[in-house]
Amino acid sequence: MIPLELNILLASTMFTIGLYGLVTQKNGVKLMMCIELLLNSANINLVAFSAYQPNVNGQVFALFSIALAAAEAGVGFAIMIALYRLYGTIDLDNIRAMRW
Amino acid sequence: MYADYAYLIVGLPVLAFLLCLFLGWHLPRGGGFITVLATFGGLIISLGIFNEIYPDKIVHQSMPWFANFNVGILIDPLALVMLLMVTFVVTLIHIYGNGYMNGDPGAARYFAEAALFSAAMLGLVYSDNLLQLFIFWELVGLCSYLLIGFWYRKPSAAAAAKKAFLTTRVGDVLFLAGIILLYNNLASLNIALKPGEFLLQFPVIYAHIAEIPPAQLTLIALGLLGGAVGKSGQFPLHVWLPDAMEGPTTVSAMIHAATMVTAGVYLVARMFPLFYAAPHALTAVAAVGAFTALFAATMGLTAFDIKRVLAFSTVSQLGFMMAGLGVGAAVGAMAVGVSIFHLIGHSFFKALLFLCAGSVIHAVNTNDLREMGGVGRYMKWTMYTMLIGSLSLAGFPFFTGFFSKDEIIVIAYEYGTMINFLPYIFLVLAAVLTAIYTFRMWFSVFTGKERSDYGKHESPWIMLGPLVILAVFAFGFGIASQDSFYSYLDSNFEHYGVNFQELGIIGGHVLEGEHGAPEAAGGEHVASEAEHGENEAHGEPWYIQILPIIIALGGILIAGLFYWDKIKRFDPSQVTGDTDPIRKMLLKGYYQHEILTAWFAEGVVYGTALICNMIDIKLVDGWLNWLSAWVMGFAKNIRKVQTGVVQNYVTALVLGIVVLVVVISLAKEVGLV
Repeated sequence: MIPLELNILLASTMFTIGLYGLVTQKNGVKLMMCIELLLNSANINLVAFSAYQPNVNGQVFALFSIALAAAEAGVGFAIMIALYRLYGTIDLDNIRAMRW
Repeated sequence: MYADYAYLIVGLPVLAFLLCLFLGWHLPRGGGFITVLATFGGLIISLGIFNEIYPDKIVHQSMPWFANFNVGILIDPLALVMLLMVTFVVTLIHIYGNGYMNGDPGAARYFAEAALFSAAMLGLVYSDNLLQLFIFWELVGLCSYLLIGFWYRKPSAAAAAKKAFLTTRVGDVLFLAGIILLYNNLASLNIALKPGEFLLQFPVIYAHIAEIPPAQLTLIALGLLGGAVGKSGQFPLHVWLPDAMEGPTTVSAMIHAATMVTAGVYLVARMFPLFYAAPHALTAVAAVGAFTALFAATMGLTAFDIKRVLAFSTVSQLGFMMAGLGVGAAVGAMAVGVSIFHLIGHSFFKALLFLCAGSVIHAVNTNDLREMGGVGRYMKWTMYTMLIGSLSLAGFPFFTGFFSKDEIIVIAYEYGTMINFLPYIFLVLAAVLTAIYTFRMWFSVFTGKERSDYGKHESPWIMLGPLVILAVFAFGFGIASQDSFYSYLDSNFEHYGVNFQELGIIGGHVLEGEHGAPEAAGGEHVASEAEHGENEAHGEPWYIQILPIIIALGGILIAGLFYWDKIKRFDPSQVTGDTDPIRKMLLKGYYQHEILTAWFAEGVVYGTALICNMIDIKLVDGWLNWLSAWVMGFAKNIRKVQTGVVQNYVTALVLGIVVLVVVISLAKEVGLV
């Protein structure tokens, strides 16, 4: 069995990459991908802990989370498409209508 | 049976109001005939009720409204004579109005408002509780405002309407305060009300006056008197009434002579037991009335506008009625009969005089007495009907005004022998002036040379008809009904079992004659005097009885010597030149405009308002504006945080979490959590 530490290391690496992308990237689709990374690192954690202390709840929860992530991605990309139609770009620096 | 339809007396004019308002534009003469029919229907019902309940029954219908209040109809002798008078006079004025307003583009509006006024006035008269009376009271005020400003494109008319509304408002606030005080006092008595009884109903009020503390009674009475002073144009709230002549003459006749302005007198008469029981209240009524009677009469002497002469005369005569009620302190409840008799008689002859003046103005197209003269050659009917009205107003023997006004003077004399002669002196002087100014007006209009080129034609019969009918009443009403009128009105408060003797003790009055032996202070001396009075019927010497006749004849003669070219001996300018200070003062209306409007209103009130405005702007608003400006400035700086760049928000979020984690770990480290 793969040690728990490695799982957590993988998850936190993914989380950090996602966070880094979220802060630095300006492309809307890339941001969506980064958010997926954050979400899935959490899922990995759930599954890892669930396997480590035998309790199936965490894995069930991960399944829910995946379903939710799919819904979230659907809504997110729909927003991106709408933004693209409106502004002709998905560079978020240019989409600042809500700013002062 | 007619009593079952009593609600229609108000209902029909309301219906006419709606019809004229919405359909009047499509009807001939603005739908005026609907208004006539509505008030005529009211007259028929009133006559039917009179036939059913005269002389010893009353009609009282009521239903709950909300909380402790009800709506109801109370037709007792006092309300009934008012109902008959109002429906009768108003019907005639509406008929006349059909001729007078013919061709005016706003005729439909006029008749709609006139119908609403009729409804409100009739509702006021037969309300069975003070709250309902107050509502109708405000409604007649509104109609008065609308009709004074009927020709609203004329700035003076609009200003007069506003003045009337605001001035009467001062009185109405006092009236409302009086009602609230009365309600509070009645409520605190914990009266066990029978089903169908409500606190502000007149019978309930009458029954419990004696239980209210006398000081409170006086406060309430003064509040009600304030309302009456405003509505009836008594000093010092009389200023609106002469200006109200800016409205059509029919309006002046209907609202500002015959009906609405008498509402104040009616209110005092209606609440007479309360006034009687309240110490000093009737003294105030008498003082206000007698002073106003003389004060307004002097101004009537110099006015050049025919309608203003009549307006001052109305104020003066309303003063007579008030004084008549006020001297009730000496003669008891019979004062109500005397005063209301003058009210009814005055409605007939003053409506007649106004309608005649309207007929003259309609023909000659001017209000100014100096531009008339000799009109009688072209308007015989108007001249003779107006002569009857003038004789009646001046108190010429056997005309209505002779019986009604002189009876007030006589009871004022009784008041004088018992309490104070001042009201009597004021009223006698006012009566002399009444005869003089009335005939100054009549001679100036109808006799002498034509002083300008005016229209020369008689008015149409639709206008003359009402004049003739009113003239019959202005002559014959007094002689025909005086005694039965007094006895009928005297029975008014007997229906409610009002014990004037008991109330008089609270109010500190001494009664004379048939209304009960004196019981209050004074002892034997007063008692013997009262017996003395009783022995001689009314107890006035013959010269007091005869004086009013001399007054009337003398006044007419004086006016004739100055203004009637046949017997003219003096020229007015011989007595008073243009520069004479007294004449100038009278012409200027005792500088009321200068004092009340220019100095008090525009100087003191407006000045105070300016200062308050300054404080409001600089201090109250200023503080708030400074605060909001500060918040705005602060926000201007802080809103830069909202960059609109998603990455910045994420960064802030992450930094926030990091800070939280650090803080919590540190807190754990030092053992705070």
